[in-house]
Amino acid sequence: MPVYGASLLSLSLSFAVLTIFLIVLFLRRDDDRFFFVAQRTSLGVCFLVTLATMTLLASLLKSDFDVDYVAKYTSLGTPTLYKFTAMWAGQSGSLLFWLFVLCSYSAVVLLQNRNKHQKLMPYVIMTLTVIQAFFLLLVNFVANPFSPVDANFPIQDGLGLNPLLQNPTMAIHPPMLYLGYVGFSVPFAFAVAALCSRQLDVVWVQTIRRWTLFTWLALGIGVLLGGWWAYNELGWGGYWAWDPVENASFMPWLTGTAFIHSIIIQEKKNMLKVWNMILILVTFLLCIFGTFLTRSGIVSSVHSFTESSLGPIFLTFVFLILAVCIYLILTRLDDLKTEKRLESFVSRESGFLFNNVVFVSICFAVLWGTMFPVISEAVTGTQITVGAPFFNQITIPIGLILLFLAGIGPLLAWRKTSKESLIRNFSIPVLTGLGMVTVVMVFGIRAIYPLVTVFLTAFVATSITLEFWRGITVRTRKFGESPFMALVKMISKNRSRYGGYIVHIGIVFMFIGFIGKAFDKDKEWSMSVGEEVQIAGYDIVLSDLNEEERPNHFAWIATLDVIKEGKDVVSLHPEKRIYFHRNPNPDRRQPHSELSLHSTWREDVYSVFGGIDPDKELLTIKIMVNRLVRFVWLGGYLLLLGTVIALWPARRSRRKEN
Amino acid sequence: MNKRFLVVILAIALLMIVWVGLGFEGNELPYVTIRELTTNYEKKPGKRFRLGGNVKEGSIFRNDNDPLALSFVLMQEGNRLPVSYHKIVPDMFKDGSEVIVEGIYDGEYFFADNLMTKCASRYEGDLRDTKTSL
Repeated sequence: MPVYGASLLSLSLSFAVLTIFLIVLFLRRDDDRFFFVAQRTSLGVCFLVTLATMTLLASLLKSDFDVDYVAKYTSLGTPTLYKFTAMWAGQSGSLLFWLFVLCSYSAVVLLQNRNKHQKLMPYVIMTLTVIQAFFLLLVNFVANPFSPVDANFPIQDGLGLNPLLQNPTMAIHPPMLYLGYVGFSVPFAFAVAALCSRQLDVVWVQTIRRWTLFTWLALGIGVLLGGWWAYNELGWGGYWAWDPVENASFMPWLTGTAFIHSIIIQEKKNMLKVWNMILILVTFLLCIFGTFLTRSGIVSSVHSFTESSLGPIFLTFVFLILAVCIYLILTRLDDLKTEKRLESFVSRESGFLFNNVVFVSICFAVLWGTMFPVISEAVTGTQITVGAPFFNQITIPIGLILLFLAGIGPLLAWRKTSKESLIRNFSIPVLTGLGMVTVVMVFGIRAIYPLVTVFLTAFVATSITLEFWRGITVRTRKFGESPFMALVKMISKNRSRYGGYIVHIGIVFMFIGFIGKAFDKDKEWSMSVGEEVQIAGYDIVLSDLNEEERPNHFAWIATLDVIKEGKDVVSLHPEKRIYFHRNPNPDRRQPHSELSLHSTWREDVYSVFGGIDPDKELLTIKIMVNRLVRFVWLGGYLLLLGTVIALWPARRSRRKEN
Repeated sequence: MNKRFLVVILAIALLMIVWVGLGFEGNELPYVTIRELTTNYEKKPGKRFRLGGNVKEGSIFRNDNDPLALSFVLMQEGNRLPVSYHKIVPDMFKDGSEVIVEGIYDGEYFFADNLMTKCASRYEGDLRDTKTSL
């Protein structure tokens, strides 16, 4: 099995090199036959990589401990689902998985555009194949997932998968992130192709619009699932910690978001061509750079991947791409120029432009904070880190500006907005915002950021609702449809627009969730059975402690009765587990806290079983009351819904109209 | 593009850079070695530091009445630093584990308000371990 898998990988690399060679020949000689063969060898790479991936998967499922990777990340006791997810639990496996995703994308691009974009496709295939070749070099020579096990005795059982990763979310979160990270290769490849072939009109942008949206969605969902997992599994009570690895996934999402907004202007107005090129280049580089950050160990992170020799290789790749792209953009600058000009600050175009500036600013701030330890060490010799307080302080106000733009953007007209229409469109949202601020002030909230956020969320929500309402009234009056039918038809007639609005509402809900953070409470106690403690209006009684022996771990289970104003709310059952508890070597036993929470729209009661002194039955318990967290997840669902609506192909309805 | 727009955008960009620069004020957390912390100690109340190292074997001490109160000795390149901590510790915390602590130093003790464990090494562990366990 190991030999088979490894030879598949070598063969893929040779096919990739052959593809690049054939495309260069085609571009030199202009003989179509070279291009046809190149298309096939490129598909060959995809096929071989898929086979290699399946081979590793088979080894994992069969617990073939001759393969080092299988022995290190699974054991006989690992449940089947997690044998499957071990595919991306370690470095070499995740690199192969990355490659597999890239190859699947490439195959789709190839087949979809078989007979389209004759000028662009050779360069698209070339770019994708270069990226594939880079990862193939890695899995062949640096981190081969098929390396045989390095031991002079037969391995009877593997090490097993980290219990923290044994969570169903871990089956979706990494693949989602990968779909996002890797997916930006496709728009990037089309951008490079447009530059190389000087086909800089609007075609490449239209071709990649859907791809970009899909990729952007996958990345966003991946990031959100990571937060969801951290919140529901890790037990520190939050969903975002500004950890370097989280930032690494957030940065391409930010520039990607800027990109999906600014390509709208290029599509409609044929402007911002250079800017879009730079944005997609930066987004792709941030994806690669993110992988570099997580793999190189240059910044310390709680996401502990092994430090490895991959860092310099990734950095070299990043600089190489950067150099080539800068050269391409500079030599094509004349073709990228546009005669059109922005006419007014108060227009849809400039709204988009400012949105872009703000997104890029946040990205810059996050990048700066993430890299600051490295930079400060290079300059002063001492590593200076900045934690969550820095990131919150910096990004909250910029985020609020963004929220404001999300509210006014849709109300601005293209080219120029008149003063009358500004007043007409903005008076109701502004008044609603002010009304909401008054209401929460009556409830005693005085802090400035929550008040501003309340104003802006109400403002944006109202302006978007009005936008929907106007559309519906026009349709009901014009076609006599019922309001519901009018809503459905209106959305299906203009999916990208209304899908976008729904995403904006999702973002509004997320911001509501973020305000909740300002009102969180947490406390820790040592408790024995029968004791009672108070937090944020709740009485919490430790009423019982049980022990249970389960197949792969031992557990202490606490029962915490949560009482509010004399009424029982819920019983929480946080657990302290010991994995590998039968292992005679105490160093191999692995404690794990399984948290328990009760979630409502208002707040979550979140309990963690910190530790236990078994002789005295004295427990350490942490209780957190986290406000409005559900709104963050609700926002995530709306983001998904809105993007799916925007993505949904509209071909059928168009045909009918024609 | 219009010059006016360029000026405004550059102004915004400049503003953002200044804003990010200001954000560092009071939020920096120097990542120092035990040696640097103890030799260059000047009394600066409330100044926070971040340190890494290993928990000295057998040095973890818990208060009998309050299991949350904890002290241990942090080892780094042969230097030692007594650390006091009063919170729930991560699951991976034990003798010999690699930890990062953040907190203040009074010239003798380090009062940590944040303790993180590094955990990768365990799962990248030695396959020979499994042989003994069978």
